[in-house]
This record gives sequence, C-alpha cells and structure tokens, in this order.
Amino acid sequence: MKFVCRKCETFMLFEKLESPAEASLGITFECPECGSRFSMVTNPGETSMVQALGVKLGGRTEPAGPMELTRETLKDPSVAATAASATPQSTAGVSAGNMGGEAAGKCPFSSMISGMQQPGAKMEWSREALERMEQVPSFVKPMLQSSVENYAHSNGITLITPAVMEASKNAPTDMAWAPEAEKRLENIPSFVRPMARKEIERIARDRGLTSVTASLMDEAKEKFMSMGI
Amino acid sequence: MAEEKDLKTVLSNMKYKDDAKVQEQIVDQLLQVKMRMGRITRKILVMSGKGGVGKSMTTVNLALAFARAGHKVGLLDIDLNGPCVPAMLGLKGQHFALTPEGAVPPMGPLGIKVASMEFLLKPDAPVRWKGPMELSPVWLGLQEMSVIREFLADILWGELDYLFTDLPPGAAADKPPVLAGYLPELDGAVIVTIPSEVATQVVKKSIAYARDLGIRVLGLVENMSGTVCHRCGAEEPLFSGDAEKIAREMDVPFLGRVPFDRALGAAADRGEPLLDPTLPSVRHFDAIAERLTQALEFKKLMASLL
Repeated sequence: MKFVCRKCETFMLFEKLESPAEASLGITFECPECGSRFSMVTNPGETSMVQALGVKLGGRTEPAGPMELTRETLKDPSVAATAASATPQSTAGVSAGNMGGEAAGKCPFSSMISGMQQPGAKMEWSREALERMEQVPSFVKPMLQSSVENYAHSNGITLITPAVMEASKNAPTDMAWAPEAEKRLENIPSFVRPMARKEIERIARDRGLTSVTASLMDEAKEKFMSMGI
Repeated sequence: MAEEKDLKTVLSNMKYKDDAKVQEQIVDQLLQVKMRMGRITRKILVMSGKGGVGKSMTTVNLALAFARAGHKVGLLDIDLNGPCVPAMLGLKGQHFALTPEGAVPPMGPLGIKVASMEFLLKPDAPVRWKGPMELSPVWLGLQEMSVIREFLADILWGELDYLFTDLPPGAAADKPPVLAGYLPELDGAVIVTIPSEVATQVVKKSIAYARDLGIRVLGLVENMSGTVCHRCGAEEPLFSGDAEKIAREMDVPFLGRVPFDRALGAAADRGEPLLDPTLPSVRHFDAIAERLTQALEFKKLMASLL
C-alpha cells in the first residue's frame, strides 16, 4: 500500500511505526516534497493481516528466526517451540536490490514467477479472457497464462478468448499417427504411454506438423537422449 | 486553481520506492524458499479429492518405499489442523531443534526427515492462532500461507532426492495453489482415491483442479482397493468402483492398488511402520514407487525405449 501526496504528485514515504493501542499499528507517512504527514491506524484485523505476511514494516534490524512467524502466532505452542532464540541463516546479499529493479519494483512474487514466464511471443487477450483470468488466484496466473499462451502459440492462435482458455485445458488430439510410430509407442509401459503420446504430439505441433511419423520419433528420441535426462 | 489530474496520470509519472521495505522482505522470504528447495531434486504433492481415503498413509508409505530404495527422502505434512504423519512414523512428542541455520527436522525410520505442525504443538493441543480467526477467513488463509512458506524455507532439509508433501484432506482448495506458487519447479501430484463411486467422482475434480493450476498429475493410487484376510491372506474387494478406469478416462497414469491391510493400519497406529519388503502391503507400495519413478522420468524412458 502506498499513499500519494496529490499536491506534490509524489509517493509519501514511510516514516515510523508505532503501536498506539493493543493490536493496532500507527504508520506515519511523510511527503518528501512538502513535509505533510499523516498517520494510518489499523484495526486488529488489519494488524493481523500485516503480521501474517511475516514482515516488519520499515525493515528488519535482525533476520527472522526459524519458523518465527508460526511459533509467535500459535496461541498454545509447545515449550520446545517457544524456547528458541536462534537466528537463521541470513539471505544477506541476496535482497530485492540484487534482483534488479524489475523484480523489486513490481509484484513481490515476481522474482519467484519470472522464470515461468515465456519470453517473447506477446499474445493478445480479449477482455472476457482477461476478466476470467482475474478470477484466478494471483499465484497461479503466470502458470495458467503460460499454459494458455503455449497452447495458443502451438495452434497458431494470436487472440486468446475464453474459448481458447477452455480448449487449452484439454487440447484435443487431432494428430495422425503413422502405423510404425504407433507401434513404437507401444514400447513405452502402458501406464505412462498417454504422457509419452502427448509429449510427442507437442513436439510435432511445435514443428508445425499434423502427423507423427517414425522419423519424428527418431528425432524425439535423439532429443531426449541429448537432454541427458 | 489548476484542475487536479486524475490518479492514473499522476501515477504514470511517479517512481515507486519500497521505503517500508515490505517487498524487499517478501522477496528475501521467497529467495530463502528457493535456496532450501534448490537442494531437493524431486518435489511431489500427495493430494486427494475426499478426506479419509488414506492419503497420509499413502504419503508415509511412499516416502518409506523411496527411502528403502536408497534415496534421501523428506516428508512435509501440511495438514496443519490434523497432522498425523508424526504419529504414523513414531515421532509423536518430537520437536524441531532450532539452530541459527534453521529448524532441524526430526528423523523417522530409514532416515526420513519429517516436518509437521505437530512438532510445534503441545500434546493433543489443536492449532489455535492468536489472530482474529472469527473475523477473517482471508487473514487465516494468509497466515497458513506464511506457515507453509516457513516450512519450506526454514527447515534444514539439506540435500534430498525426494520431498513428499502431504496435503490436507478433501477440498482444501487453497493449499495446492500456494505450493504451486512457492514451488514453480514442482514435479507434480500423486492423487489418492478409493474405489467407491462417490470418491471416484470427486477425484475427477481433483485431477481437473490440479491441471487447472498447471500441476502435472503424476498418477492415481487406488487405496483400500480390497481387504486382506488376516487369516489366509486372500484379497477381496471392498467397493465396486474402479480407479484404473477413472485414470484411463482422465488420461493419467494409474500407479497401482493398495488393499486395506489391518497389519499396515495397526503398525501406523503404533508408530512402527512396516518396513519388511517381503510383506504384501510393503510390496504394493514398492511397486507404486517404481511406477511413480517411471512416471517422473517418462522422457528418459522415451529416450531409451522409443
């Protein structure tokens, strides 16, 4: 949450944190331009929400102890759990600053999910599709987005609509299989055969093919062997 | 007096600064998760559609099967409100040892490292939080999310070949996305069911839900697929359904069946899990573990068998 000084058109800065009453936080912000200050006071529910994040407003002076939030928030922890006074291994030197401005300045979870985003290939999303995506928990969005966009990309679709999202869930297989390829697939144990079939069809689609042949099987095999998996 | 600009225009000209250092701390928390989890080769969820299908029993015995095969295994019990893994592994009454590097997990049979809410609670005490549980389910969700994050980030798991995570039963819909969010490199989920009509209908929802979340379904385990006569050892069906049929319909690998075995249940109740690989139930789990390994490494299979 940030506050904006409308007069100076700048973010107000966090100044200090107080506890004006039990289960209440008083957070004071100041405009760096005009010096205006105001304090936000939280109710018990809001205070708990902030605490449940496991963060200290204004930054930590020392690293969190192991399982600190869990131990401190349990009403009735075991003696062994409360007796701790340990400091965990610090992640010092690996802070937001080291993640690059992009990761630090956007969603706090962006560092975690950035690796899941597909670079390039910008897809257009219809308003209805975006609205549908909004209903998905934020954690999951990048994965779902990536999955739908991969499906769209594989099928030459450039505009993602709710229908495309639906189709991506269980992409139907319209791939033709040459008899020899089909026969070779039978070498794979039956219970993992559907996974193998899907993987080969995915490779075929990536190459713009509409059928699976023995030579594609050779290529797939070579690819998996070269991956050293 | 100049007309005030709309907020969108004002914001477009401003540079955000994390002066309260909230984002920095959250990123640090996530890096801590990445650091710990980066030393674990395979991360597998065990989930079910319905409660009472033997999910924890399956998780425990799968973990034991992989440990028996010589792997380094961890087991994370995130059934926060009904943790039962420690009891099944004979670890009731144990606690985390808190060190400057993190929390040392108690070690169960075959060297399995175990983390559970149970290790933070007094005997028989329920989980009760200091926050406004009666006021805000949103707060409770956030709190549990942070607890799970601490289990991933603060436990000294060390280097492991496999980490199995036992999810809460039934429709605890918030946990899989939380884990998928923290662990984008998750290998997938094993789904446990029993062959009753009711359970198999619900398991379809679980499979669809996992897929919606982008979690790969590694396979389906049919628990309580029959009963073993404790006198003659013969197996008889308990229900009339067939989870293998559901697996075919839903296009997921069928990993195997585990008949109900009184000896297995009694051993779990005693906290002395069955380890003898010649016992029928242990053999079932070893076979499931072998299939699960193949499901995890199906690309390797393709490289050698295609």
